[in-house]
Amino acid sequence: MRYNETTRSGGALWWFFQRLSGLYLAIVLFTHVLVLHVLMKDELAYGSIADRVATPLWKTINISFLVVALMHGLYGLWIVLGDYIHRQWMRILIWCAIAVIGLVFTIYGALTMILFQYGG
Amino acid sequence: MAMITFRINRYNPDDERRGHYVQEYQLDVEKGTTLLDALNEIKWKQDGTLTFRRSCRSGICGSCAMTINGVNNLACETQVLGLGNSTVTVEPMRGYPVIKDLVVSLDPLVRGILAVKPYMITHSPPPSDQERLQSPEEREKIDGLYECILCGSCTSSCPSFWADKEYIGPHAFLKAYRFIADSRDEGSREHLEALDDRHGLWRCHTIFNCVEACPKDLNPTKAISELKKELVRRKLG
Repeated sequence: MRYNETTRSGGALWWFFQRLSGLYLAIVLFTHVLVLHVLMKDELAYGSIADRVATPLWKTINISFLVVALMHGLYGLWIVLGDYIHRQWMRILIWCAIAVIGLVFTIYGALTMILFQYGG
Repeated sequence: MAMITFRINRYNPDDERRGHYVQEYQLDVEKGTTLLDALNEIKWKQDGTLTFRRSCRSGICGSCAMTINGVNNLACETQVLGLGNSTVTVEPMRGYPVIKDLVVSLDPLVRGILAVKPYMITHSPPPSDQERLQSPEEREKIDGLYECILCGSCTSSCPSFWADKEYIGPHAFLKAYRFIADSRDEGSREHLEALDDRHGLWRCHTIFNCVEACPKDLNPTKAISELKKELVRRKLG
């Protein structure tokens, strides 16, 4: 018999996702620092940044960073809050609020990236 | 010989109005005196109402676990002069309901340990007229796991347990892994079943308090990490 039939967490895959996403975020952040602050030869100005951000490759990288960072951060927040919130209705409410926040920021951020255009 | 002041956290359930309070006792302590010796001396010669658990007085039973100068330890394994203070503060282990003085309710500890089925589970019959044997290498894998004396120090020091009293606890995780790592055990699924729970394994935030608190120098955090990997392997496999 399970410890408590009503509180199965399904936490295994999320735990694994947090490890993978943490690794991915570290790699992307390292790439960002490398490209922007070490390898970039142009002057650090709006134009040179915007040129790069407008390319399909960087749009893909930035959108993936946005999605993974939001999921990683918001799930982390949920885990921390979960330590202290035990009432079932409150847990559902907070889970829904976190999901909505994640969804809104994902759509808002992704649209900003997708629609961004600069230069030629 | 040194005069030591013992500041002991007291609580009498029959005197709820007074609640928890600190009472001081002074005792001449000589080299080699353990805290359990000192507590016995106080109880026998100064204040018979002082209440604490003790049994084996040699670090095997885990009964005398308490918070000593802010750190969980066994009173019978703590040299008073070794603490290096002229004042020793003694409290009941944190996180558990206090029954009286230094005696806490270990119900949460028992609930957690029972959830992981802390016994060997086998499905195949044993070899005829033989014990279930294991090689020295297989036996070595449970070193650092089987030595747990269930004193409750680890779970009492765990912030996840402070926040969630239904948390299964590092003591139970260590015990679960003790059987999963045992080559003779065939009940991994049964041991793991309780762990994938809101009050289970995923509440551990790898804070390492349990490792610091263990008077037997065991490493529940490592066991927890192995259990997490095992659960993920099973989900993905």
